[in-house]
Amino acid sequence: MAHANDRLFDHQMAREFKLKKTRALVDKRMDLSDAVAQYVEDGDSLIETGFAYARGPMAAYWEIGRQKKQNLVGIYTPGGLNNLWHEFGGIEGAHVAYVGVEMRGLIAPFRRGVEAGTLKVFSDWSHGGLSASLRAAEQGMNYVASKSMLGSDVMKDNPYVKLGEDPWTGEPVCLIPAMYPDVAIFHVHHADKYGNGRVWGLSVNDTAIAIAAKKVVVTCERIVDTDDIRASAANVIIPWYCVDAVCEVPYGAWPGDMPGMYYFDRPLQEQVVRVDWKTPEATKAWVETNIYGTKNHYEMIQLAADEEGMNVLDYVKRLEQFACSAAYFGIGTWGTGGERDWKYEEVAKRAI
Amino acid sequence: MADEVQYTPRELLVVVASRLIQDGESVFVGTGLPLVGALLANHLHAPQMMAIYEGGSIGPEPTVLPWSVADSLTFCKAPIILSMSSTFGHSRAGYADIGFLGGAQVDMYGNMNATCIGPYDKPQVRLTGSGGANDMASLCQRIIFMGLHLPERFPEKVDYITSPGFLDGPGAREKAGLIGGGPWRVISHLGLMGFDEETCRMKLLSYHPGVTPEIIQQFTGFELLVDKDVEETRRPTEEELHVLRDVVDPNQLFVF
Repeated sequence: MAHANDRLFDHQMAREFKLKKTRALVDKRMDLSDAVAQYVEDGDSLIETGFAYARGPMAAYWEIGRQKKQNLVGIYTPGGLNNLWHEFGGIEGAHVAYVGVEMRGLIAPFRRGVEAGTLKVFSDWSHGGLSASLRAAEQGMNYVASKSMLGSDVMKDNPYVKLGEDPWTGEPVCLIPAMYPDVAIFHVHHADKYGNGRVWGLSVNDTAIAIAAKKVVVTCERIVDTDDIRASAANVIIPWYCVDAVCEVPYGAWPGDMPGMYYFDRPLQEQVVRVDWKTPEATKAWVETNIYGTKNHYEMIQLAADEEGMNVLDYVKRLEQFACSAAYFGIGTWGTGGERDWKYEEVAKRAI
Repeated sequence: MADEVQYTPRELLVVVASRLIQDGESVFVGTGLPLVGALLANHLHAPQMMAIYEGGSIGPEPTVLPWSVADSLTFCKAPIILSMSSTFGHSRAGYADIGFLGGAQVDMYGNMNATCIGPYDKPQVRLTGSGGANDMASLCQRIIFMGLHLPERFPEKVDYITSPGFLDGPGAREKAGLIGGGPWRVISHLGLMGFDEETCRMKLLSYHPGVTPEIIQQFTGFELLVDKDVEETRRPTEEELHVLRDVVDPNQLFVF
């Protein structure tokens, strides 16, 4: 089978794929483990969504590791937590605009892999360049002519972009082709069972990615009635017709930030970035315990709570306390329906 | 000396940075210390500063220092929330006055590196990559860079041009097709630098208390020009330090 990179910019193949998707409103709910098993295939290009560690589908990423997917190609604008899997055969290489955790520094497995040559960097981009590539796919353009990346080594070393000339003015432009990743997984606040995904806050690149990607899985904090979605559609960033699977995963962005609901699990992130993933041996031990040693996301959270000597509900409550108040977002609804009488804490309790 | 205000090098760096932002300007805010500097300016003398965050938020009113340039605090009370490609598009359109960023290296022409130390295809250290830095440096009107001042971090030529400064000298940005004005200020824990209009080379504008232009030269990997009006950097005031310590970063997440 062809390498993921050979189909990454193939707009015709991407279109053929999407022509076959159903447009009908069909119930796409399934377990996260089934969705990952079915839609993340070995050798796929997998693009990270949200802002990596802010509204990222972390539960799905851990599940990818748990299922020992092989030779994925990462696309990061930004991203990189999935890089962890390269030491377990999970990631072959990456297209990189940014991999890191800002002030907390670099993600050690990424750095180790690239420096050792075991993790390939297929291309470097700027955030603006890669987001324009995805936006081009969403807007139906073959490529865009940009003023980013000009004159830099990023443009020189990236094998996919080209220096061009504006046909009207003659000035130099960076030509950026539309990108079509194989699979994308999103985490949103609300989704209906058909896949319409609604968020509070930044879409980052998500709408563009949803249309650009061939296979799309949506995980959500809660499933709500489609009437609730239709009554407040302005914040819907993912439309049903591109979605293949919908999974209800409360705390699915943990240990990342889920706007208005829970904030970064800061102590845990510091521990992971600065200690647990510092060496290959430590990373292996961490994965054995936290990923292979757990059945699902909630057992992982339970482990983290045990580590702190805390009751798991107190543990997640603490993260909720730091969350920026939902009222700031001018939405003020937790959504309704989803075919059950829904209270956030109750579901979280049941899930955990 | 005993009754003088005490501060750390990082605090000075952030305070000097905040002074460069004028009220009413728009600032594309990079992660880390730039985030702190921009918020400090916002709380001190630039209440009408318009912050742009690459995740898609413009003009928020964060109550607490965000951990990330795209976390929920960056769009607290934001009047509009967009997407990543929009923020860069709006910068290109002309809505971003200042791009405020950090990185591992900056060279004599203000080129910045956040990609790798050593050769690109076999790096000694692989860094984060551009993120929004290249776009800010390409599209914003003026660039402020913040970094630690060491010879290997201020080399004559960066190992990798992640974000374009003046490239290889006068006229190079225009030739490459870049539209923004390029590097404007560099702030380190030793001094404040600008760029010579004719040669596009970095020059010292002010040296921080406790060091001299000669000392700064020793920590710089190229010949640093010195402005004819070079002076000592004004010390942080009690007001500046109070707002930084008690309002902007009370938990000392960044500045310690």
